[in-house]
Amino acid sequence: MSSRLPAGSLASIAAGSVVIGALLESGLPAPASQWTFIVCALPLPALGLLLAVRRPELRYGWLLLATALSFGLATLGVGLSMRGVPALIGAPLAALFTVFYGLSWIFVPLLFPDGRLPSRRWRAVAWISGVAVVLHGGGLLLGGLSPSRGTRPPTSFDLVLAFVAGGGQLVTWIMAVVVFCGLVVRWRRADPPERGQYAWMVSGAAATVVGAVLLMAFVAGGTRAGVAGFLGIVMVMAALPAAIAVAIVRHRLLDVRVGLRGSRLHLVFDLRPTVDEVLSDLGTALEDTPEPVEQLGRLAAAVRTGLELRWAAVALDDGTRVVSGRQDDRAVLELPVRGGRIECGPKQSGPLTRVDRRLVRALAVPAGLAIQSAGLVTRLVNAQEAERRRIERNIHDGVQQQLVALIAGLELARATGAGPDTLADLREQARQTLTDLRELAAGIHPSSLSQGGLVEAVEERCSRLPVRTTVSAPPSLRARRFADEVEGAMYFTVSETVANALKHAGATAIEVRLAHDDGRLRATVADDGRGFEPRTASRRGLATLADRLDALGGSLTVDSGPGEGTRVNAWVPVDA
Amino acid sequence: MPETIRTVVADDHYLVREGTRRLLETSGEVTVVGAVGDADELLDAVRRLRPDVVITDIRMPGGRWRAGFEGIDAAHRIRSAHPGVGVVVLSQFSDALFAFELFKHGTEGFAYLLKDRVGDLDELLGAIRAVASGGSVIDPKVVEGLLARRDVRGQQEALTARERDVLREMAHGRTNSAIARALHLSISSVEKNVNAIFTKLGLENSGDVHRRVAAVLAYLGPEPPDQR
Repeated sequence: MSSRLPAGSLASIAAGSVVIGALLESGLPAPASQWTFIVCALPLPALGLLLAVRRPELRYGWLLLATALSFGLATLGVGLSMRGVPALIGAPLAALFTVFYGLSWIFVPLLFPDGRLPSRRWRAVAWISGVAVVLHGGGLLLGGLSPSRGTRPPTSFDLVLAFVAGGGQLVTWIMAVVVFCGLVVRWRRADPPERGQYAWMVSGAAATVVGAVLLMAFVAGGTRAGVAGFLGIVMVMAALPAAIAVAIVRHRLLDVRVGLRGSRLHLVFDLRPTVDEVLSDLGTALEDTPEPVEQLGRLAAAVRTGLELRWAAVALDDGTRVVSGRQDDRAVLELPVRGGRIECGPKQSGPLTRVDRRLVRALAVPAGLAIQSAGLVTRLVNAQEAERRRIERNIHDGVQQQLVALIAGLELARATGAGPDTLADLREQARQTLTDLRELAAGIHPSSLSQGGLVEAVEERCSRLPVRTTVSAPPSLRARRFADEVEGAMYFTVSETVANALKHAGATAIEVRLAHDDGRLRATVADDGRGFEPRTASRRGLATLADRLDALGGSLTVDSGPGEGTRVNAWVPVDA
Repeated sequence: MPETIRTVVADDHYLVREGTRRLLETSGEVTVVGAVGDADELLDAVRRLRPDVVITDIRMPGGRWRAGFEGIDAAHRIRSAHPGVGVVVLSQFSDALFAFELFKHGTEGFAYLLKDRVGDLDELLGAIRAVASGGSVIDPKVVEGLLARRDVRGQQEALTARERDVLREMAHGRTNSAIARALHLSISSVEKNVNAIFTKLGLENSGDVHRRVAAVLAYLGPEPPDQR
């Protein structure tokens, strides 16, 4: 994973700096208290590393790493200063303690658990805190670098610096309290799985505050409060990492948890794929699955495994519904997507978390695309079935009946020794049957289309209409042939549209235009009929054709209004 | 016994083939010397039997022939190998496309009739007679379709209803006197209409019957003349 290297480097620098800084400060052999200090400081970079590697897309791991890094470098700075390294190097590093406090008191609780602000309103707090931390750190840094420090009475410049640094520190504290209150509120409002995580975070933050108070008591009280000071610094350093670690272990914070595998304790990270992994897996799965309805199945399965749901379903607006798993109760989450919705059953254990919801939302776009194509194909298949039924009906009710009548007539003629008139009648009946059959065949696929192309077939179709119809096409288009499906879709669009103009609109004149430009093959059918309200009228026949064009990457638009006639524009992309 | 026209019938459908054969033989004007089921057999039969006229279905699947055009392609092969043999192509398609395919190298000796005409012996015999003497015939329904096509293309139709009737008869390969008989008109009236048609269509009048069909077809052709 690409985040391994930067996260690993940051964590190593942080940890290394803490160890070196602490040992420089005390000298070797170091007292037990110093070792305790080191041990307490190490969980933070470790935790940051874990989260940054596992969930690099969340800022929280990186935030923890930054916190650990500022602490480590500051410790190193202190150690270096103790060893007589020039203040130019030591002081700026030591000033990073302000950054550490700013991050661990404000930003670590504020951005818990996923590295995002709880809401936009908190942006002000974040900005103020950032500025305060910079002022605090900057003031300390400049004060610490002052060459005359300690050798003469403070100048007014020193006073200004102290004032700025102190002001920054004060604001930092105020903000820390504000953030802590916000955290408590979020804890009170959270639902169970997140509530446990927040509870630990609140405890951790509270312990940090207590630690800070103890630390101040130590600073104020001097060596008499040594134990309190030591306890305080341990709490300030370790309380938050400990709280986060517990939240991970007990409440599966950020979907990382500790588990037993065999007889050994393991950190189990692969229980649930990240959003990116789910998306890329889903992309591959959808590519490998040309069958759209099966794609929906893959999609539902991805949601189910990704969220560890008992069941998940993908439902289309047209009623098609594919369930993964066994649906035994109501959906706990329904996410509308383009053309349908994703339904989530309950989790295998516990309710859905914020991260779960995020995952489902991330799936909405690919889901929408899959659903759309599946819906399109389903509708096309249905339309094809309906068309087959229509043809079958026409054969049964039309031609077949006519032939039966003809047989009956022939038998009658045979039995009665019919004269020439009867036989001529029968011949006419047979001719009519043939004409009907010819029209039926042309409706299925006109021979003029396969042999002569689009313009030829459209002209042929329109020349049989009982109203004044004109077809215009550029001469170059006459000789052009396109793929069967393109010619078919365009022909049947025109055919259906002119039929509608006759049947429903009562048109007395129809104008058909065929054109080929900008890589598009276009057909426009305009009539002078009654027109209709396109938004309300259902256009079953045209909807099927629109799907057909859509499947070819084209589209169909209808422009009409009551009493305004109708104009249908259809196009499909073709090679220039 | 008067001289009869010797014909070969080709159709892949047995019942149609036999029906056509028997129908033609009842006329007494035609002798069917061979009945075959595909284009290869047809060429073979023409070579062996030397008929006067061939009556062939447009579609006879099989062999290495252009699918859907077996009858038309065979007709062209027959005419080029045996220029004296007339060919009547029976088609289930009223699309002019196929007629133009048949007439693309010339109209002489070719007839394009819709299959319904097997139920109309006089029409069929008329076409057989016409192609036997090097004339040509195109089914009136096809001409009708071509005229409708002109309307659809937005070309002004200048012909009167009467002139259209005459035009259809002309397409039938009929002489002026035959047209006069068919439409119950006087010969001079037919001549007037024919002249008017040729003037309106911008064509040279021609007494030669099959050239008249060719002229009409050229005018009604697959490409609108003004866009060529």
